[in-house]
Amino acid sequence: MDKLETAEDIIICRNVHKWYGDFHALKGINLTVKKGEVIVIIGPSGSGKSTFIRTINRLEEHQEGEIIVDGILLSHDVRNIAEIRREVGMVFQQFNLFPHLTVLENVTLAPIHVRKWSRDHAEEVAMKWLTRVGIPEQAHKYPGQLSGGQQQRVAIARALAMEPKIMLFDEPTSALDPEMIKEVLDVMRDLARSGYTILAVTHEMGFAREVADRVIFFDGGQIVEQNTPDQFFTNPKHERTKLFLSQILHH
Amino acid sequence: MADLSPQLPKTRSTTIPFWRDIRVLGVLAQIAFVIVAVMGITWVVRNTLANLDELGESQFICRDGTSSFRCAYDFMRLDAQFDIAETPIPYEPSDSYWRALGVAAVNTLKVTVLGVILATVLGTLAGIARLSSNWLVSNLAKWYVDLMRNTPLLLQLFFLYFSVILVLPPIKEAIQPFNLPIFFSQRGINIPAPVFMPSFAVWLAFVVLGIIQAQVLWIILGRQEELTGKSSNRFRWALVSFLLVVGIGWYVSGSLTSTQAIMTPKSLRVREFKDLQKIMLNRLKLADLGDIELALSNGTLTQEDIDAAAFRICAQKESASEVNLTSQLRNANIPYTVKRSTRLDQATEAYANGECEILVASQSLLAAEREALEDGANHVILPIAETPVRISIPNLEGLNFVGGAKLTPEFAAILIGLVLYTGGFIAEIVRAGIQAVPKGQSEAARALGLSESQRLRLIVLPQALRVIIPPITSQYLNLAKNSTLAQAIAFPDLWTVSYTTINQSGRAIQIMLIVMGSYLSLSLIISALLNWYNRRIALVER
Amino acid sequence: MATIYQNLQTLISRQEKLNFNFSLFVQENITRSWWLTLWLLILTFITIRVTISQLVAAPVITAVVLIIWLLSIGMVVLNEVTRQHTNISLWLKENLYNSITNTQLTLILTLLIIAGLRAFYAYAWVNASFETDPEIAAQLEFTGANWGAVIANMRNLMVFRFPKEETWRIWASLALIIVLGIPSVYIYQQQKYRRSKIRSALTFLWILSPIIIFFLLRGINEENPLLPQVNPDVAWGGLMLTIIISIFAIVVSFPLGVLLALGRRSKIRGIPAWLTWTVALGFTVWGLIYSTPPNLAAARSTSEELLSYWPLAIPIVAFLFQRYFNGNVVAAFSTIYIEVVRGVPLITVLFMAIILFPIFLPPGMQILNTWRVLAGFALFSAAYLAENVRGGLQAIPKGQYEAADSLGLTTFQKYRLIILPQALRIVIPAIVGQFIGLFKDTSLVAIVGLFDLLNVANTIAAQPQWLGVRREAYIFIAVIYYIGSAVMTGYSRRLEARLGVGER
Ligand SMILES: Nc1ncnc2c1ncn2[C@@H]1O[C@H](COP(=O)(O)OP(=O)(O)OP(=O)(O)O)[C@@H](O)[C@H]1O
Ligand SMILES: [Mg+2]
Repeated sequence: MDKLETAEDIIICRNVHKWYGDFHALKGINLTVKKGEVIVIIGPSGSGKSTFIRTINRLEEHQEGEIIVDGILLSHDVRNIAEIRREVGMVFQQFNLFPHLTVLENVTLAPIHVRKWSRDHAEEVAMKWLTRVGIPEQAHKYPGQLSGGQQQRVAIARALAMEPKIMLFDEPTSALDPEMIKEVLDVMRDLARSGYTILAVTHEMGFAREVADRVIFFDGGQIVEQNTPDQFFTNPKHERTKLFLSQILHH
Repeated sequence: MADLSPQLPKTRSTTIPFWRDIRVLGVLAQIAFVIVAVMGITWVVRNTLANLDELGESQFICRDGTSSFRCAYDFMRLDAQFDIAETPIPYEPSDSYWRALGVAAVNTLKVTVLGVILATVLGTLAGIARLSSNWLVSNLAKWYVDLMRNTPLLLQLFFLYFSVILVLPPIKEAIQPFNLPIFFSQRGINIPAPVFMPSFAVWLAFVVLGIIQAQVLWIILGRQEELTGKSSNRFRWALVSFLLVVGIGWYVSGSLTSTQAIMTPKSLRVREFKDLQKIMLNRLKLADLGDIELALSNGTLTQEDIDAAAFRICAQKESASEVNLTSQLRNANIPYTVKRSTRLDQATEAYANGECEILVASQSLLAAEREALEDGANHVILPIAETPVRISIPNLEGLNFVGGAKLTPEFAAILIGLVLYTGGFIAEIVRAGIQAVPKGQSEAARALGLSESQRLRLIVLPQALRVIIPPITSQYLNLAKNSTLAQAIAFPDLWTVSYTTINQSGRAIQIMLIVMGSYLSLSLIISALLNWYNRRIALVER
Repeated sequence: MATIYQNLQTLISRQEKLNFNFSLFVQENITRSWWLTLWLLILTFITIRVTISQLVAAPVITAVVLIIWLLSIGMVVLNEVTRQHTNISLWLKENLYNSITNTQLTLILTLLIIAGLRAFYAYAWVNASFETDPEIAAQLEFTGANWGAVIANMRNLMVFRFPKEETWRIWASLALIIVLGIPSVYIYQQQKYRRSKIRSALTFLWILSPIIIFFLLRGINEENPLLPQVNPDVAWGGLMLTIIISIFAIVVSFPLGVLLALGRRSKIRGIPAWLTWTVALGFTVWGLIYSTPPNLAAARSTSEELLSYWPLAIPIVAFLFQRYFNGNVVAAFSTIYIEVVRGVPLITVLFMAIILFPIFLPPGMQILNTWRVLAGFALFSAAYLAENVRGGLQAIPKGQYEAADSLGLTTFQKYRLIILPQALRIVIPAIVGQFIGLFKDTSLVAIVGLFDLLNVANTIAAQPQWLGVRREAYIFIAVIYYIGSAVMTGYSRRLEARLGVGER
């Protein structure tokens, strides 16, 4: 694998454009993420947040610009794509657990088949992660038998079991009931503190203030503003950001 | 925002080897697929050619004796030389293979169209019966459905043909259920059939008119409803106006176009139709023709007397004029016998020889025939009434039924078999469709004060149809395809005749291409029609 | 009886206000609409006719039915009026006597069903012969069914001409299936065997079993002392052949069907439009230069002249290919295969297999009719199975694909581990339904000359000693088909119910 020298920059996006047919969804995104950085992305609905983080692990293909993840250029090369997906874990709004597999099988599936670990080793690691997200006792249940919050924690454990360097979260709490949001956010906080590089789309402002290193505001397929949480929330520069913050904070 | 633009490191190589490029991989895979497919096809074609060579070049022989692929279908112009038992359009063994296949295709269409209509009726009835509140009715329907679904169609066909129809009584003892004019015998089923008179064309114009004006009325009333906000029961009014126009048209067209006539000797002294009745009363010495039965039973008359007195009619075989006359005679209780000849001039000859008293045909034909008679002046031509449609009723004469329509045992077996079988499947679809309409819908309709028929027509049916149409489409397709099982009972449908043609001509590939193409088109047409209908319903929904 | 009596007592003693509204009753049952009144009159007429004719045909039974009918109506009416329904009278009221017309229908149908059963009973039992010796049977005088012919032909119906001394091989095959089947019921259900060695062993044996059974039924080679070869065209038949064909077809069509379904849904990057158009135009030009002029010169009619311009059709095909399949050859091939096979009748496919297979194969290569028919069935079934599987694939949410991708699974792993297990589970009932259809459709091989259950039944009528005995054999095999299909339908219903609540 030809790794590029990118020093501390684990994700580099330069001038990334994306079109859905005629619709220009991403209009030149430039972003550099340092190793261990926690980034929270916010923005109005339809602004391209999901599209952007999905281009990072090639769930969506970008048409222009360059993306480099952990020194690997995200190109049409299948080997690069596979390599990047191994290093990037993703957690979805709708959990997307595999309903026909038990929780343990969900978590061990990728390590066994992608990382080629032995089943025993994979299960050992899986149990470690399940314990870390607080649900080791559910290992032999099926996803359908768990609550939403538990399912999302399984999804996080599933992503972590691949031992990725980067974690992507796409609104992980917005399909959850309020009392379950906390248990998921607790796990995410824990991860943020233990050195993972995290890109999270979320509207949990408390979480952003507490753990984010940087908050990025998306609108109309562009990064409008980015800053440290303190600066961002107390002293937004752009009108658009102010409007958005006033709407979101007052409701 | 230049400060935010990250500095890209120098890349060592940005070119991707093509076997790892996701864009190229797809195309490569497909090209590989195409190559494999082309190789496979080449292999098959080469084998086929080699095999055909072995069979000789006769497969592709031209009329000039040379051999070329262009002539693959030349043999189709040769005489078929086999008989077809059922010919809805004229056919002789000396006709070409093309014509033979055409006849067969019409047979297939006949079975399919009739089958689809009858199976829909039967299936709908059985589906509704399945939901009956009467436990016995719904269970009987269930047994029927289960029996049809759980046994093979071919077995049902064999059973129907060999163990039901072929063991019916001989024609002389034909079974006549409930004394209806329907006859079941070994030789098939004879049923009444409509005969279209020349005035039918005029009446058809009235029907079209009726439809148009009912539509117009429907639209006008609809506008009115929208304006006034009051329901005006436009369905009923449109129907009434339609029936009115059609009914008036029935009489008008019958009396306007009086094409039918009889020819009688002047000596018989017939000036109008009524006179026939009088003559008969005279001959039988009765006061009323309705008394014939009575007179027969109390012995004042014998069957021989009646036979002797009956009018002797000459007519051309299978002519509409005969049906027109005899059905009027029957209504007036006038006894008659008919002598049929293949051609009209033969009938005229018999009439001239005094074999009968009445010659029946259309006015123009009769006028021409009178010219041909030596003593034309001694005969009168008498116009008689006609209606656009007359019902011809089967009647046992000698060893055959005359009149009506005849279903051969083979046609009856394949039609009944397909209808019963497909009806079983449609019943389940209809039942599921009706049950798919939530109970709340019916309750809401009742709460709105809709009548039962409005509830069914406006609420339940449209919703049920949406569920019913797609699966019923595939049942119609199945029916069309299953009609090929006719081969098992030797009904000459498209497949059976194609099979014969293959055996006769030895050209399997050419015929199979035609056959598969035909069935494929039939399938495509049926699904296109129903898709169109489905879309229309979906639009009405909105 | 006792309840009726008690009800009468209370009725008389208490003189309560009765639960009966005469005008409402008349309105509901008679005068609600013209149609109802007419229907009622017709039904009354039919009821009287049927009752009288049945009274003549079978006086005792009909009288008993009539009395029971009247008494039960009386009981229902009484209980309804006094509002003291028992379970029975409530059931009767709701299911048999809920209106005047239904009450009449109940009587008519009961009488007709009884008449039918009596006729069948007389035919199939009272007047039937069970004599298997044709000579004795010929002497007997009976008007009913000749079951003797069926019983005498039982071996034929089951296995047709399988060599008598080799029958043990059929029993061995059956035994193998039973031995594997019984533990399977338990082991595949239990959660604790999910990853056990036993389960893998069992699965392995199941996969192996068709091969074992094949060698048992066909034999290994001529000289083999234990399993001498038999010729399937001659020795296979009856119910055995029916089952072999249906199982073979479903098993073989399974992988084919899955591939076709995946092919039809595949979204791989198609052949780019420019490439398609270049190739298509190239061929067109080539055709117009090298094929059209000579054909045109040789043409004998206008239609042949028109046909000489066939290369012009190539761009149309190219256009359709790009328009409907976006250049995806795999999808185009799968779709066309599926739609063509589903659009033509099974019998034409079988005929192709019988007559055209040999033409498509290298000259001199012979294959048995049985193998041709098996192949025909498998290819036919694959198209239908593909459509079922496609239905299952469509039901899998997009998120499943994305989750698998984001974990780094390869496309093959994604389908094998995530998509197919879920999709196939959804379509199991549909596949069972398709298997039932195949089980019934095997009867079509009778037309192409193999001796399946139905064709063996046909042969009975042609045997000199049982000449013309058809109906009995048909009834017998109808029962076999019925039971087979009904059992499988029931199984598929249970499966459906279980999967519905399932492990999701
Ligand atoms: N598959 C697609 N095809 C066409 N347009 C799409 C597709 N996916 C997304 N879009 C469009 O791209 C835009 C950005 O979508 P995206 O899902 O990234 O928004 P978002 O910021 O995540 O919004 P939300 O907060 O609602 O999740 C939207 O306008 C959407 O309509
Ligand atoms: Mg989103």
